[in-house]
Amino acid sequence: MAVQRKGVKKLNWIGFIIFLLIVLILPWLGLNSFLMTQATFAGIYAIIAVGLGMLMGYAGQISLGQAAFYGVGAYTTAVVSKTFGLSPWIGLIFAILLPALVAFIVGHTMARLSGYYLAMATLAFGIIVSVLIVEWRSVTSGASGFYGIPTIQLFGTMIKQGLPYYYFVWFFTVITVLISLNIVHSRIGRALRSIHDSEIAANSMGVNTGKYKMQIFIFSAMLAGLAGWLFAHMSYSISPGSFGLDASILFLTMVVLGGATSVWGALIGTILITAINIFVHFLGNNVSFITSDFEHVMNGLILVLVIMFMPKGLFPSLVNVFRKKTPHLVKESTT
Amino acid sequence: MGDLIQFIMTGLTIGSIYEIVALGFVTIYSVTKIINLAQGEFVMLGGMLMITFVGMGIPFVIAFILTLIMVTIIGWVLEFAVFRRVKDADPISLIILTIGIAILIRGLASIGWGKGSFRLESFTAHAPLKIFNATINIQSIWVMCIMLAVVIFLYIMMEKTILGKAFRGTSDNPVAARLMGISSVKMATLAFMLSGGLGALAGVAIAPIMFPSYDLGIMLGIKGFSAAIFGGLGSAPGAVIGGLVIGLVESLGGGYISSGLKDAITFSFVLLLLLIRPSGILGEKSVGKGGL
Repeated sequence: MAVQRKGVKKLNWIGFIIFLLIVLILPWLGLNSFLMTQATFAGIYAIIAVGLGMLMGYAGQISLGQAAFYGVGAYTTAVVSKTFGLSPWIGLIFAILLPALVAFIVGHTMARLSGYYLAMATLAFGIIVSVLIVEWRSVTSGASGFYGIPTIQLFGTMIKQGLPYYYFVWFFTVITVLISLNIVHSRIGRALRSIHDSEIAANSMGVNTGKYKMQIFIFSAMLAGLAGWLFAHMSYSISPGSFGLDASILFLTMVVLGGATSVWGALIGTILITAINIFVHFLGNNVSFITSDFEHVMNGLILVLVIMFMPKGLFPSLVNVFRKKTPHLVKESTT
Repeated sequence: MGDLIQFIMTGLTIGSIYEIVALGFVTIYSVTKIINLAQGEFVMLGGMLMITFVGMGIPFVIAFILTLIMVTIIGWVLEFAVFRRVKDADPISLIILTIGIAILIRGLASIGWGKGSFRLESFTAHAPLKIFNATINIQSIWVMCIMLAVVIFLYIMMEKTILGKAFRGTSDNPVAARLMGISSVKMATLAFMLSGGLGALAGVAIAPIMFPSYDLGIMLGIKGFSAAIFGGLGSAPGAVIGGLVIGLVESLGGGYISSGLKDAITFSFVLLLLLIRPSGILGEKSVGKGGL
């Protein structure tokens, strides 16, 4: 057992170093400003997807309203840094704490729900928040968007959109992946996996399933809040359209494609979906009948095909193939 | 007084639509334990196809029949090509699957029809009725009549025919039904075709009021889902009550509190109810893999 666990950890470290190298080298491959922005967005989305993946893959919960926490984070820091004129770093604290508080309240009220009823409740929660963002005009400036969000200063220099912001975002993404891998390999991770396999069995072994599910829900909300903070200070303005149902479904697609039962899966799903959308964008520039609507068609098709033919997602399926070919390396699945 | 009657009539009209959509959810759920979030897209397709056919100069009644047939076929294709192959999936995967189908259909619709909204003429040309200063659109009365017809049709079909008996049998106990020689696959196909037809009917009925566009389905689907959940999944009377109540809450909340907040009010109401009764007002009739 000990040897196998060491193998898993070693593989994870190798994966992590490859990941880090790709992140560091990518901007130097001659990206134009459009691709740079997309790469930065991929980092922001990856943070949300990793949190959502842990919620779905480990805690076995579904959230069709994850974009709500993303929006709460973004608008919180916008209000703190623009309306109150405080430092964006103070905004960061609130952008993480407020979604956590909301998740705490929402989580406690939804604790009795599961399956389709939980899906409905999270869907309703997401819609309520996006309506409130549009309608609470005195705070959020409504549908026209919130303008004039200051840029972040680090050691006296402004972090501008482009290369600096790319590294800034991916720094947080890397930290998120590290923390998530740690959680997955800790006592909490084992408890969560036991919930996903059989909640009743876990309960009878003395695992307080409710507590762990709540913790992971709050954790995923904090990550979405962090992503909101990064998004708000990257762009000069934010508008409610970025935090609606479409965004929640986009995050869901990323997690489902990559595979929810693994931190790496969510990350790979995010990168693939971003790549596909960039591809569609370029096709659209050259082929007249392909428009941005094609993104929806592609994302829908991906969701359908993945659930039909690869229900565990891309990454776990690849790991399975890998395991069959090299049985001496890993016996336990990598996480 | 005029305001109140106006809001109630509006609420009953949209409530009737939600109710037909919710009945579509219940029909599929009771046999297959699948919640089909693409249900709203059936409504959108119904409205858009009808407008397209009428625009092509096809007479109203024939266009109506063509629309029903086409969306019914789409329901059948979905069951045949997708759902029959994912029998063992868990509720979360099934929800994701139907969301995928919904955004796929929506994307194709936006490519085919563009982003504009369209309008169908009312079924009958007649001046709006006036009751206590409230203006009641004739089409609203049509919508409510269609809703009643749907309820009566489903009731007779489910309670009085052998087909309905087979359908209910599969819903109550699939294994026993199979032992009696009822094919659960055929019943699932029937359920999808039926709810495709119901969706198309709802779409045609509201086309003169709601000006359908490619993205009509998503909100209708979610509201219909709320109505089905509100009444308790799998319960047809629950879906009828749920649809009307949600329509009334939306229209009264929109009218008396704030029209911008009406969706937030409606969904807060649904959330509140779920917290008090986690399995709907009438409770879940058939607890399967989709239940708790």
